[in-house]
Amino acid sequence: MESLKEKLKNIISDYPQLKIQLYLKNWQTDFLRFYKSQTNYNISKNSVTLYVSIYKDKKNYSFEISNPSEEQVRLQIEEALIYIDKLPPDPYFIDLENDLRRIDEKQKDNNIENISLNRKIEILKHFAEAVKPYDFDIYGTFICNNETNWILNSNGLDKVSKVSPYYFEVKAVSNKNEVTVLESFGSDNASALDTEMILSNLIVKIKAAQNEIVDVEAGDYEVILAPRCIGDFLSMYAWSNLFISSIDRKNTELDGKVGEKVFPECFSLYDNPRHPNTVNYDYSHDGHLYQNLPIFEKGIFKNFLVNNYYAHKLNVPENGNEANCLVMETGNHSLEDMIKGIKKGLYISSFHYMNFINSRETSLTGLTRDGTFLIEDGKITKVINNLRFTEKITDVINNIQEIENKASTFPMSDNYGNFSIYTYSMPHIKVKEFNISSSTKTV
Amino acid sequence: MKHIIHDIIQKLNTPEITFGDVRYSTTDYQSIFFEKGNLKHFSSDTNNQALGIRVLINGCWGFAGTDIINKIEIEKTIKKAIKNAKEGSLFKQQKVVYKPIKPTIGSYIYTPKENPFTMPNEEKIAYFENISKLLTQNEQIVYSNVNCDFQRQYKIYANTEGTFTDSLVYDVLPGMYVLSSDGKHNYSRTWPGHMNGRRGGFEKVKACEFEKNSERIIKEAIDLLKAPTIQEERADIIIGGGHLALQLHESVGHATEADRIFGMEISYAGKTFIKKPMLKNFKYGSDIVTIFSDSTLEEGLGYHLVDDEGVPGRRVDIIKNGILNDQQTSREIAPLLDLEPSSNMMASFANDIPLVRMTNFCLAPGQGSLDQLIAQTEKGYLLDFTKTWSIDDNRYNFQFTTEIGYKIQEGKIVGIVKEPTYYGITPEFWGSCDKICGQEEWEMHGTFHCGKGEPGQAMHLSHGVAPARFKNVVVNVKA
Repeated sequence: MESLKEKLKNIISDYPQLKIQLYLKNWQTDFLRFYKSQTNYNISKNSVTLYVSIYKDKKNYSFEISNPSEEQVRLQIEEALIYIDKLPPDPYFIDLENDLRRIDEKQKDNNIENISLNRKIEILKHFAEAVKPYDFDIYGTFICNNETNWILNSNGLDKVSKVSPYYFEVKAVSNKNEVTVLESFGSDNASALDTEMILSNLIVKIKAAQNEIVDVEAGDYEVILAPRCIGDFLSMYAWSNLFISSIDRKNTELDGKVGEKVFPECFSLYDNPRHPNTVNYDYSHDGHLYQNLPIFEKGIFKNFLVNNYYAHKLNVPENGNEANCLVMETGNHSLEDMIKGIKKGLYISSFHYMNFINSRETSLTGLTRDGTFLIEDGKITKVINNLRFTEKITDVINNIQEIENKASTFPMSDNYGNFSIYTYSMPHIKVKEFNISSSTKTV
Repeated sequence: MKHIIHDIIQKLNTPEITFGDVRYSTTDYQSIFFEKGNLKHFSSDTNNQALGIRVLINGCWGFAGTDIINKIEIEKTIKKAIKNAKEGSLFKQQKVVYKPIKPTIGSYIYTPKENPFTMPNEEKIAYFENISKLLTQNEQIVYSNVNCDFQRQYKIYANTEGTFTDSLVYDVLPGMYVLSSDGKHNYSRTWPGHMNGRRGGFEKVKACEFEKNSERIIKEAIDLLKAPTIQEERADIIIGGGHLALQLHESVGHATEADRIFGMEISYAGKTFIKKPMLKNFKYGSDIVTIFSDSTLEEGLGYHLVDDEGVPGRRVDIIKNGILNDQQTSREIAPLLDLEPSSNMMASFANDIPLVRMTNFCLAPGQGSLDQLIAQTEKGYLLDFTKTWSIDDNRYNFQFTTEIGYKIQEGKIVGIVKEPTYYGITPEFWGSCDKICGQEEWEMHGTFHCGKGEPGQAMHLSHGVAPARFKNVVVNVKA
């Protein structure tokens, strides 16, 4: 790999007439999938991929090569030079990334080695035994990735970032009626994996899942949204409305509102790759230093997420943030007190299959999953069939009544490609007038 | 490459390996994206090789994949697959049982009429640039894009039973999008819609008639700014082919993937409301509804000689005259349901593990044209062009929004509505189907992006459908 890097550096200097960006990704995964308290399959994969983007003035061509060699890269650049002049220009391209700042490189563990397949299986056997007395089985995934990314460009950028996150998600499913509850954890720190804590949280949920299953009518409810739910909402909100490209696509109502109070004072959101509970990412995909960014502070909109291309196109400062490390500020209520304060409402553990109806207006529909519970007179009393909601994310934030005094870390993934793993840190929130539009009549 | 695959199979032919298979794929990809009249992105991925080795040992699967194809890496990949199976079998109670099948030897080469990978790049770029400029002429259209992905994939499949096949296919995914705005609200229109994947070459791009349809979608997007919403609680709806393909995909296709019955997808994609006792007797739809999986239809993206575990392509009637008749299965799952394997085990690339996937999943045609069906509808809406889709993890409760609805009164289209949203329960909805248009309206729609599995795989697959009518559907859902 090191010799390839040197050769790639030479390629950049051999083409001074071009702006070239290289992104070399060396990725490995060990991926255990389990169902009905047994192995479904074990997968190991590795890949080395080089992503190349070349600009001649404002004309751009990109290509990728798996398992690249110097000869292949040179050949493809030479081929591109034959027709790049005939391509229409992108008038908004100004320059490649030129943030040369580096972060002090820390020694990072390889969690594929730290959390071996044998260890995973020991952990899963323990979980399977623990849920058996309740007539539940475990289903889920236990994934370890290890990747090294090297970013190099014609502006002198030469940065390496390493990340080795893991993702443990376990669902306990009742053999009697398929009621499901979920616990998950993700990190890049193997010692942070507290399996006894995860198991104990899972057992608490399994006990709640023993209750009678009922249905509820469509209508507005006071709800407690688990951290994963508010994380899903904020992730969708970020991707649709908070990236600066959404201004260019006329897809955000936040255009022109930096500095304005748009949400209640209790709501603050950061994109913080240095937070102790998030998987730490050093650089953006452009190679810009990835740092803590306030997005909303006390309800005031502070910043869009800005990459290199749109910084130039829209003439705004770049910050390089990518919403991979969202951290919502905690409040001052315990979860127990939040539940106690509800006469009749819902506890929602997780969402499923959300999609925008109108992304600018943030209206969407989706379903509850993996544990929906009825709260009556301040207590969780019954299991509820999964429910469909039709809501606006902005209304949900505006309807926040209380925020938990501690946050939970949970893993997220885009699932496709290289199964990128990132983590969010979110508290429970209590929301009024949450619109349940129908019941699925199934758990 | 074939001799290398033969060598690997030789190495897998050992007493400890009950079954082993090897897949090799090399994929070429090209992507063109014009945004607001400018070429934003033009990229390619050439000769992307992948190798995957799957072994069954002690009743447990082990799999390893790589895109580094050399002797050392292949040896490492074989060892890793074997290790994964052996260690995984320590946490396995119900051993996988595999019934042998007769080997298949064959080769399939698809030849597109206009090969997008040999066409000059400047010719392709000029074609899409022309369309992109047409979309930027109206100031009420605030955003537009034109895009196309081309894929060519060569694949070898071989297993320890003696099956050895190779194939070469070409797929295209062309589309355009416009967004209108009045400063407060945005409405979008696409062409040819969400299910725009096709088997073929550039001739399939031209068949979309982008130039001809650009004026139409611009006008409709602008008209949507002033269009009303549906006011009725319930209505009869005719669903156009592009959107019906997705309705079929979500509420029948995924629901009848049998790995879901056994919980193999609970951790991600979900379960299904279907249980084993429902087979051969459950009323899934009205009597006119017959739905089949057919991987022998060459015009579909799901055509194959054999699936990714050696089962020859075949047609299976999943719903027959409204009754749940069969399932999409694998060789592992089919016997658990007393069924024959349906040839539905597929992986996106060779370094992905195969999963139960739709191939060509189709609604059998009825009779008559769409014009005749509209004329026979006293009051209702024609809905098409998917905007939003969502379905629960049992594939039972769905809600869809289309970009546009065409209001029908006394057999004629009299106006449009914006963001029509309907909701339903799967068997009730298919039970309300009272008309399906005929063969003359039946068309293959497709996607490159059907997601399933962990790590996720995006599958190319097709749906053959003709527009159909559904009675008394809930149509007035609002955020």
